Amino acid sequence: MNKTNEAQRGKLVIERRYRANIQDVWDLWTTKDGFESWWGPQGFRVDVSELDARVGGALRYEMIADTPEMIAAMKSMGQPASHPTNSRFSELRPRERLVITNVIDFIRDVAAYENQIAVDFKVEGAHVRMSVTLDAMHSEEMTRMQKEGFTSQLTKLDSRFGTVAAEN
Amino acid sequence: MIMQLDVFQALADPTRRRIVETLLAGEQQVADVVAKAGIHQSGVSRHLRILHDSGFVLMRPDGQRRFYALEPAPFRQLDGWLTPYRELWEARLDRFGAALEEKSKQRRAQATKPGKKRS
Repeated sequence: MNKTNEAQRGKLVIERRYRANIQDVWDLWTTKDGFESWWGPQGFRVDVSELDARVGGALRYEMIADTPEMIAAMKSMGQPASHPTNSRFSELRPRERLVITNVIDFIRDVAAYENQIAVDFKVEGAHVRMSVTLDAMHSEEMTRMQKEGFTSQLTKLDSRFGTVAAEN
Repeated sequence: MIMQLDVFQALADPTRRRIVETLLAGEQQVADVVAKAGIHQSGVSRHLRILHDSGFVLMRPDGQRRFYALEPAPFRQLDGWLTPYRELWEARLDRFGAALEEKSKQRRAQATKPGKKRS
């Protein structure tokens, strides 16, 4: 039932457990090199211009399409191949919890809004449990899906998503 | 299934999300929602109508009274909608795991080098 409750709140929680040092896990979120080493969806890389890991500190980066396929895909959607992202650390308790607030102000014809990513860290022996809570409904990706006309195609997608839901 | 067209818009509004959260406790009248959600009655009525029209909320009349409750079907569909988004994040955290593995290797390599202790 948890999953349904999450969906009702438009929140998504993803949890991972890594056999790793907590400082290494923390650094991947809070240092320029660390952040650049994994962030960005498939087909994109990020160039961090500012990362100030303090409460209220800025996190600014350029999201850059870096495969020929992604560059072509962005072009066909009328989107630039890169865009700057302005975020900030709105909560920060070293090696325990951080919240990144993203300002989504770069989607054409969509009024700016904020989206949050909350990450909780817990050391369990030699492992670190990392729990990421996302504002799924109010996110860049969902807004894009909505804009790209997914909503007008919902009836067509009904059966497809019906199948997915049944498999879960 | 026109009711599903506004799944995103219906829940994009924070007031409506609050009403939905209030209704998680079960079927209620407008006055109960007003009291629990702390939103003005006219707002609650308007938002309940939108949630009703978009299929998230059912209304059951009982004499003069109207009871509102959540309809589970669109929420299940919403969960299906979240699947691609979830997958995107699963992939991102796979990369996080790979980056972490790399970092751990470097740390171990550093630790084994004589005279290069890490605090």
